[in-house]
Amino acid sequence: MNTLVRNLRVVRRMTAADIAQQSVYRGAWIIFMLANICMPIISLLIWRTALASGAQLPVDERYITTYFVLLGVVTMATSSWMAGFLAQDIRMGKLSSWMIRPASLLTGFVANNLSEKFLKLFALVPMIGIVWWIFRDSMNIPAGPGRWALFAISILLGAMLVFIIDILIASLAFWMDDVSALVQARVIIASVLSGAVVPLALMPEWSRGFVDHQPFRYTVSFPVEIVAGELTGRELLAGLGFQLGYVVVFAAIARLVWSAGIRAYSAVGA
Amino acid sequence: MTPVHDLPPVIAAQDLTKTYTFHQQRAGLGGALKSLVKRKYETRLAVDRVTFSIGRGEVVGLLGPNGAGKTTTLKMLSGLLYTTSGDLQVLGHTPSDRKHDYLRRIALVMGQKTMLWWDVPAMESLLLHKDMYGLSTAEFDRNVAELAELLEVDHLLNVQVRKTSLGERMKLELMAALVHGPEILFLDEPTIGLDVVAKARVRSFLADVNQLRGTTILITSHDMDDIEALCSRVMIIDHGRLQFDGGLDDLVRTAQPRKLVRATYASPVETDRLTGLKGVSAVEVSGPTVKLEADRERAGSVMEQLTRLGPLVDLDVADADIEDIMRDLFLRRSTLGEGS
Repeated sequence: MNTLVRNLRVVRRMTAADIAQQSVYRGAWIIFMLANICMPIISLLIWRTALASGAQLPVDERYITTYFVLLGVVTMATSSWMAGFLAQDIRMGKLSSWMIRPASLLTGFVANNLSEKFLKLFALVPMIGIVWWIFRDSMNIPAGPGRWALFAISILLGAMLVFIIDILIASLAFWMDDVSALVQARVIIASVLSGAVVPLALMPEWSRGFVDHQPFRYTVSFPVEIVAGELTGRELLAGLGFQLGYVVVFAAIARLVWSAGIRAYSAVGA
Repeated sequence: MTPVHDLPPVIAAQDLTKTYTFHQQRAGLGGALKSLVKRKYETRLAVDRVTFSIGRGEVVGLLGPNGAGKTTTLKMLSGLLYTTSGDLQVLGHTPSDRKHDYLRRIALVMGQKTMLWWDVPAMESLLLHKDMYGLSTAEFDRNVAELAELLEVDHLLNVQVRKTSLGERMKLELMAALVHGPEILFLDEPTIGLDVVAKARVRSFLADVNQLRGTTILITSHDMDDIEALCSRVMIIDHGRLQFDGGLDDLVRTAQPRKLVRATYASPVETDRLTGLKGVSAVEVSGPTVKLEADRERAGSVMEQLTRLGPLVDLDVADADIEDIMRDLFLRRSTLGEGS
C-alpha cells in the first residue's frame, strides 16, 4: 500500500479516536471554549468604549469590531496545544509506544491537532455566530469570495506555522529536562506579537518594521487583516509569501532538530 | 562467540554498546541552586560490548538484576535507542533506522507502558493497527478471532480500556501487539503485577504463539516461573556485560552443580551414620528427614548409600530452584565466563 495513503488512513483513524476520547470530557470542553471566546469579546468591548470616549486610534470602529469578532475564529483555527503534551511524551518516554509502530510520528500529532480543531469548531462556531449577528452592522465584510478564499488559505498556513513551531519547541525536550517554561514563554510572546491581545495596527510606529515582519504576525493577525483591513493586492501577496516562507524555514529547522533529538532519545522508563 | 542454536539468526549483535550521559544534582535547595550554575555530567555504561545471536523461532529469556542493561538491550533491538557502538542486525535491518519494513515485522510489549488508547474500547486500537500495518479486512478479522479465542478476551474488545483489570489489559496489549503477525516479539516484564491465574494464561498464550506461528520471542522478566515455562535459552546480563548465554539446564548445572536430595525415613537416622556418606555436603537432619546436596555426577551412588541407612518413606531429588540460583548469582555478581 502506498505510504501516503496508509498514513492518511492512520490520521483519519487516529483523529476519530482522539475525538471519541476527548468527547468523554465534554463539560471541560464547554468551559474551555467559553474561556476562549471571552477574551476577544472583552477586548472588543474595551476598544469600542475607548473609541466612543474619543480615543484617537489609527483604525476605526469597523476595523476593531471585525478584527475581534474574527479573532476568535482565527486563534481557534491556528492554535495548537501540542507542545506541552509532546514534550511530556518525550520526557516520560511515552513516545516509545509510537516509535515501534510503522507510521510516521507526525500522524499522531496531526490527528491530535485536527481533533482539537474539530471539537473547538463544534463549540466555537455557534458562539461566534451570535457575536457576529450582534455586531453585523458595524463590521467590514468583503463582498467578493476572493478575500474569503485568501483568508482560508492564510488560516491554513498560519495553522501549519503554529504547529511546526510547537514541534520545534517540544523537540527541545530531547535535551532539556523541562520545556514547560519555554512553552509558556512562547504562549506569552505569541499572544502579544500575533495580535491576539492588541491588534498589531495599534502598535507604536517605531516598532512597525519588526512587528510587520516577525513570524507570529502570520499566525493570527495577518489572516484577520485580510478581511478586516485594507491590504493592497501587493501587500496581500507579500504577506502570503512571507507566511509560506516562514512555514518552509521553520519546517526545515524542526525537521533537523527532531532528527537530532530522536538520536538523543533515552526512552526512559521500563 | 559461538551461537548456541543451529537456526539461521534473526538477531545478530556484535559488541553492542550503549552509554548514557546524565547530570548529577545534590538534594536540597543548595544542590538545586548549584546545578543552575554548574552541572556535573557523568557517562554511564549501560550495555558493554555484548555479543549474541538468536535464531528464528527461539524463545530467549534476558535476565539480570535491576539496572543490569536488559531493558536498554531490548530498546536497542526494537529500534527505540541508537547504539553507541557495535553492530546490530535484526531481520536484516539496523533497528534504529526504524524502516517501515522492519517495524511491521516486530512488536514490543512493555509491561509498564500501554499501546492502547485509554478512553476508548481496545477495538479502536486494533483497527488503528489494521490501518498502520496495512492488513486486509479478511486478514484482520481472522487474526482478531484467533487471538481473542486464545486469550479469551472476546467480551472485552468493545469495553473502554480503562474499565478493564490489569490482567485483562495485558491480554489486550498482547493482542494489539500480535494482530499484525510479527516475526519477533520483544517482551519487557509482560507479567508484572498480574495474579497467578493471569500469569499462567499469558505464559500459555505466549507458548502457543511461539508454537503455532513460529514467532521468535525475547523476554525480560524477574519472574523465574515465566522463564522456566517459556525459555529454552537464557542470557544473563549484569553490569551491562553478558555473563551467561545458554540453556536453562546449563545454567543450573554451571551455577549449582549439586542436586538437592531430601530423604525421609520411617524413624530418625543416627547422625554419625551420615558422616560416612561420600559425595555429599550441607547435610541437615530434622527428625526422620535428611536434607543434603549431592554431586551431580555421584547422585546415583548417593541414592544407593541413602537406601542403606534405613527403611525409606520418601526420596526427593531436585535441581536447585532457579529463583534461588538467580538470587545467588546476582548477590555474588560472579562471572560465569562471558558467553560461556
